[in-house]
Amino acid sequence: MFENINHLMVLIPALPLASAIFTAIFGRSLLKERAHLPTILALVASFVLSLFLLFDIRGRVHELHESSEGAATHSVGVEVWHTLWTWAAIGHEYHHPDTVVDGHAAPADVAGHNFDFIVDVTLRADPLTAIMLCMVTFVSSLVSIYGVGYMHGDRGYWRFYSYVSLFVFSMTMLVSVSNFALLYVFWEAVGVCSYLLIGFWYEKPSAAAAGKKAFLVNRIGDFGFAIGLFLLWVTYGTLNFHDTPAADGVAAVAGILGQTRLADPSLYVGGAVGLAICLCLLTGACGKSAQFPLHVWLPDAMEGPTPVSALIHAATMVTAGVYMVTRCTPLFVASPESQEVVAAIGGFTALLAGLIAVTQTDLKRVLAYSTVSQLGYMFLGLGVGSLAGISAGMFHLFTHAYFKALLFLAAGSVMHAMGGVIDMRRFSGLRFIMPTTCWTFWFGSLALSGVFPFAGFWSKDAIIGAVGDRAAAGSTLYTVLFWASLFTAFLTAFYTFRALFLTFYGREKIPPEAGHHAHESPSVMTFPLMILAVCALGIGAVYEWNHTFAHFLGNTPSLAYATIQATAVHAGEHSHLGLALFSTFVALSGVGLAAYFYLGDHRHIEQLTRIMRSPFGLRLYQLSSGKFYIDPIYNLLIVWPLQLLAAVSYWVDRWIVDGLVNLCGRVPVAFGAVLRSLQSGLVQFYALVMVLGMLVLIGTLFLWPAG
Amino acid sequence: MSTETIYCLLPEMMLIIAATLIYIGGVFVPGRQVWSGIAIGAVLVSGWTLYGQYTRMFWPDQHPVADAVAAAEHGSAGEVSPEYPPEPILSVAVPGPLKVDLFSQYVRWLVLVVGLIFVLMATQLAPDVQVPEYLGTLLLAITGLMIVASAQELVLLFIGLELISIPTYILLYLGRRTIESQEATAKYFFLSILSSAVMLYGFSFLYGAAGSTELLKIQDAVGGIDESSGFLWFARLSLVLIFAGLGFKVTAVPFHFYAPDVYQGTTAGNAALLSVLPKLGGLVALVRIVSFAMPGMETYAWHLALVLALVTMTLGNVVALWQDNIRRLLAYSSIAHGGYMLIGLAVAFAGASGADSASGFDGVAGMLFYIAAYALATTGTFAAVIYLGRDDRPIESVDDLAGIGRNHPWTALSLAVFMFSLTGIPPLAGFWGKLNLFAGALSIHLPGEEGDLGRYWFILLAVVGVLNAAISAGYYLRIVGVMYFRSSQRDLQADGGTGAGLAMVLCAVLVVFVGLQPNPLQVGANAAAQSARLPGGGATLDIASEQPSDVSAVAMSVAGE
Repeated sequence: MFENINHLMVLIPALPLASAIFTAIFGRSLLKERAHLPTILALVASFVLSLFLLFDIRGRVHELHESSEGAATHSVGVEVWHTLWTWAAIGHEYHHPDTVVDGHAAPADVAGHNFDFIVDVTLRADPLTAIMLCMVTFVSSLVSIYGVGYMHGDRGYWRFYSYVSLFVFSMTMLVSVSNFALLYVFWEAVGVCSYLLIGFWYEKPSAAAAGKKAFLVNRIGDFGFAIGLFLLWVTYGTLNFHDTPAADGVAAVAGILGQTRLADPSLYVGGAVGLAICLCLLTGACGKSAQFPLHVWLPDAMEGPTPVSALIHAATMVTAGVYMVTRCTPLFVASPESQEVVAAIGGFTALLAGLIAVTQTDLKRVLAYSTVSQLGYMFLGLGVGSLAGISAGMFHLFTHAYFKALLFLAAGSVMHAMGGVIDMRRFSGLRFIMPTTCWTFWFGSLALSGVFPFAGFWSKDAIIGAVGDRAAAGSTLYTVLFWASLFTAFLTAFYTFRALFLTFYGREKIPPEAGHHAHESPSVMTFPLMILAVCALGIGAVYEWNHTFAHFLGNTPSLAYATIQATAVHAGEHSHLGLALFSTFVALSGVGLAAYFYLGDHRHIEQLTRIMRSPFGLRLYQLSSGKFYIDPIYNLLIVWPLQLLAAVSYWVDRWIVDGLVNLCGRVPVAFGAVLRSLQSGLVQFYALVMVLGMLVLIGTLFLWPAG
Repeated sequence: MSTETIYCLLPEMMLIIAATLIYIGGVFVPGRQVWSGIAIGAVLVSGWTLYGQYTRMFWPDQHPVADAVAAAEHGSAGEVSPEYPPEPILSVAVPGPLKVDLFSQYVRWLVLVVGLIFVLMATQLAPDVQVPEYLGTLLLAITGLMIVASAQELVLLFIGLELISIPTYILLYLGRRTIESQEATAKYFFLSILSSAVMLYGFSFLYGAAGSTELLKIQDAVGGIDESSGFLWFARLSLVLIFAGLGFKVTAVPFHFYAPDVYQGTTAGNAALLSVLPKLGGLVALVRIVSFAMPGMETYAWHLALVLALVTMTLGNVVALWQDNIRRLLAYSSIAHGGYMLIGLAVAFAGASGADSASGFDGVAGMLFYIAAYALATTGTFAAVIYLGRDDRPIESVDDLAGIGRNHPWTALSLAVFMFSLTGIPPLAGFWGKLNLFAGALSIHLPGEEGDLGRYWFILLAVVGVLNAAISAGYYLRIVGVMYFRSSQRDLQADGGTGAGLAMVLCAVLVVFVGLQPNPLQVGANAAAQSARLPGGGATLDIASEQPSDVSAVAMSVAGE
């Protein structure tokens, strides 16, 4: 049925798109309470097709390795791409002199010549895309099932599902396209979906403001991304990932991430231009993946419905930046300084968000800062620049999607039961009321804290190990980052279990909003929780077994080329057993500290409070709970000056520019007032004026020179 | 006069026959639908015969008659060239007072389309209107304009113009039996008579100076007048008088005064008629007489047209800003558009005076295109106004349109299309019309020492034209704003008749189509403008007299069709 992989690549995004359009048109009138059906069907179907795609790609990987032993030349990695149509083709007559030299592309002149601007709508499939597709469609399927219970009875039920389908379409396209211009298009498209869903309850001013904030902060990142694209264009003369074949089979234009360049990594531009490109791309990634200094939007985005927080703001969309940096690995490798920047930003964000998370009282906010922190881990892994680091970063993305979606959905379940209250100070001891939510939350927490053998242990340990290797090689920066990441792991365990203990343990306390019938969520909500809990338990070990994940991912063209493969550490050569033990110890000590303070009869909180009352402690506490005052600083430095400028501009426009324009507008009107007074209505007068006019015309004849 | 001439007048005759039938039959059968149907049928039959004429006479490879005529035109009768031109023949020679060329074809087609719309708009007249009389008279007015389009002789031209005017008086009178309507009719009658007299006075001077009523002979005679002789001055005087007389029809300032009062006093259907038929007739006659028959006068003529254009469009637009009555507003709008069309005329005269247009923009072509776009949008607007109103409660003020964007979305959309087209916003027909006219004015290059000065005049003309387009947006967009952003004050039933609704939709579709695909109309207008400059029928008259056998054979076979 699906023997042709091209069909799969098209169908996976097409189904959610169809469901989005269908639900948008018929949702209000026809589907009503059944608006979830098209979406769930489409997403599950997409997930099944994604699995087919994954197996197809795996088959190709095996084929490549079996054939490569004898073959003299083989392609770099496994990639399949399929051009649907050409979206834009401008300037066919110009050919860059350097891009085509007998099928051997040379780096283009940085100054830029006349290139063909061709944007092909091309879908691609390779291990990276396949993994992302499976992850996105799986999590979104579960979230959409969960939403049946959570969003039940909402006025915008159909709207919710239409948006979710649209989001899944955009996200699957984002990871499938083989062109930077289209990547940018869908980058924006997921941003729009995120904006729509954060502001889903747009009557709420805070939701509307959060949506706006998310959009604006993302725009700052996108600005950098766009500049990066322009630089890529003038530097490489194409925006395609893949090589464009000419009629005779020779590469006509070497794609940025195509076989021609990967086979000869010296074709990548380093130096100042390379650094500039990477930093611009990184700005975009920071915006979408909520990295410092553009992380401020993500915690506010929790104003949206909780399934959305789980899907978009924890599991999938925020990983777009990680995906993009991974995809562009050859560019970052060509510019080592940029990798250090990636690592530094990642490590710093992880630590900063962890520090903020320990004092938050809003359950979803704790999870939001934890997301920012974990995304920081991923960037840290990517910034190591070795195959181990990058695959560890991607692996963490993969496992994190499951357990963070789990935690958010569980938090949503709590919120659902508590009548919309999410402040941890207002409820506690829910473990008997909500047993399923409690144990799934346990699984998620253990995974997030990185306790053996849960999923997070494997991926986080891999990142810390990769950073440790780099630190052991004698780099000061990475040594600092190594210790910071370990400390962050401790913080992670602490704040996660603080939230767990505060919510589910202690004296039973239920806010009045919950009413008298606080109960476990319906099975349509707990079922996805249980599935995700199983994933959180097992998915790390399964894929870490014999480095399956890293090996498979390593066949992505961007990671399969020689420079990166040279950094690969062969299995068994280094095992981070000591480190694994140490990090487990760190995690457990975090859990223990949380248990010491928050478990039981709260007598230790008195001690904690006493510590915090001291001037120094108080200041530290305020710094953390005030999120390091980043929002006020931005307000003072950016928002306020801009508002002042806007006010001045408005004044100038209102009173000077508009005044001039209005003056121009008044002149014809005044002129008309004079002329209309001639219209007396008397036919004698009209005739007189006609005759006079005729006489004037005759008079001009006398004035006209003869001849 | 020969059978061939009669063949050329077949479309007009169809209309006259139908009109007569309606007049006589209407006495016995007072039905409304019947006569509307017959009138529509008459227009369609007329169009069909016109189409037959077009294919037979202008496409030589489709009919031997046309071959012979074409050969006759090339002065080589009897020897038919084996290679046929892939384009239509511009002008076909026929004996008699007719000029059968693509210019007349273009205008006649346009008149028939607009005439069809008028008949549609008249299908649901007020109960006290004598429907058969109204429809018959309407067909006669249309016929008059078609005759103007084909006339190449002063007397026929005058008869054609009067055949527009006299039925118009009757139509105005039949329109509505109110004091205001009677006053408007009387005003129009008196002032129109005055202008006809002035024009006729001009014609008589022209005849005196040239010694002939045929335009071709006038061309020869006027071109040959000795500069020192007094005849030249008479010819000039006749030019001014003709301009003044026709200026009334074009609503050029200061001959425009009747328009606002008459439009306001009469019905919307009559106002639509007034805004198209006389204007088109006046412009066509001006092109025929001034740009063709009066060589040597063009320099003076373009100065005259240019100044009139400047004053007319500015006055129309600025006063329109003050209007609340929808018909009065559209009257000023039509005055302003008359001004725009005079731009084309000025460019055309300048072109005839020896200026070369660098980019191939032709004044007459621009004007022809513009008048089509204008006629469709204006009649469409009036059709919408009829459609929304009711006989006893017509739409009077702009405020009556409030809220129709919600209550009558399709009508509002059509009206918005018309307003945007009249403003000249792309991609609608009016945009291309204005583009043509302004580009034509900008591309004029006049020879000689005074050429530069003339060029500045034309640049000024274009600049003022663009400013005027901006001013006009003030009142057109106000209508759009009222329709969409104000809540309705009175409940409009929209029962002005299916015919009016159909006419409105037809106009809207055509405006959008021409806007999206302006090329066919543009090609037609260009060919028409080109053909208007050719000597045409007059030249072949001589050939016809030299070789009577061929032409009579032509005539016989034509008659045999």
